Amino acid sequence: MREQILAALSQYGSPALFAVVTIASIGVPLPVNLLLIVTGSLVAQGVMPLWLAIALASAGSILGDQIGYAIGRWGGTALVSRFGGMLGGPERLAKAEAHARRWGGPGVFFTRWLVTPLGSVINFTSGISEYPWMHFLLWDVLGETLGAALYIVLGRIFSDRVLALDAALGDFTWMILALLAAVVLGWLLWSRLHRP
Amino acid sequence: MQRPPRLLILVVAFGVAIAGTFIFAFKAGRHARGLHVENEPIRPWMSVPFIAHTHHVPAAALYHAIGLEPEPHDRRPLKAIARQQHRPLEDLVRDLERALASAGHTHPAIEPPGGPAP
Repeated sequence: MREQILAALSQYGSPALFAVVTIASIGVPLPVNLLLIVTGSLVAQGVMPLWLAIALASAGSILGDQIGYAIGRWGGTALVSRFGGMLGGPERLAKAEAHARRWGGPGVFFTRWLVTPLGSVINFTSGISEYPWMHFLLWDVLGETLGAALYIVLGRIFSDRVLALDAALGDFTWMILALLAAVVLGWLLWSRLHRP
Repeated sequence: MQRPPRLLILVVAFGVAIAGTFIFAFKAGRHARGLHVENEPIRPWMSVPFIAHTHHVPAAALYHAIGLEPEPHDRRPLKAIARQQHRPLEDLVRDLERALASAGHTHPAIEPPGGPAP
């Protein structure tokens, strides 16, 4: 799949870029970060202008995110009422929704470009928790534009080292996720040990 | 069977997360050092101009090496070129490798088609 996607980008350029980032943002696991880095390399080779690459990548991602949000908002309730028990019951779900509302904005923003593996899940949970759509859209536009610009510009700078750059950024993202998990678990552990 | 206490699960999960942080930090650092390595492997999705760019050689030299006339807008991946020329991809990659070597570049590794993901 990965080879076909990159071959399509190499051969067809911007339409392939837009299609792949849209599908990936809905939740299909595709190598988007590598795709954006390779796009940066194509920009450096003069295949497409930088502004167009960033605009298309951002627009595709935002469109896919909105679809994910809509699925969560209008299809999520049915899923929750059916599988809610498996997720800890209505009380725990209400708590999770409250958290999603409270951290919604920064949660949406940082999962667009820093902890990208969580992006699709956040789209879905934002929809389920009925996080205000205008707020979601605003954070989404900011995060996706920054994310697209960041990866494409890095790809442009390291245009002859795309595979090494993708590997480094991939591991960096997982390091951030592991660090976040360590902070949350450490806090839980600390509060459990210091419970009166 | 008795379930392990929640505190133990929490301690183990915390340990795994800490270990994961260090492992991925180490791996990211190692890959970042790889950014200074001279050349990248050739992959089936790459086009001839893309390979020329990543190896800093003229695309025309690579096109001639695989028996094609240079075309500025030809972005076909190697896989498509091999299919059109009715020859195995490995054959095409070998010709490109020779052309790059004669231009003074050597490869750290040539990935086979569908080779391991980085």
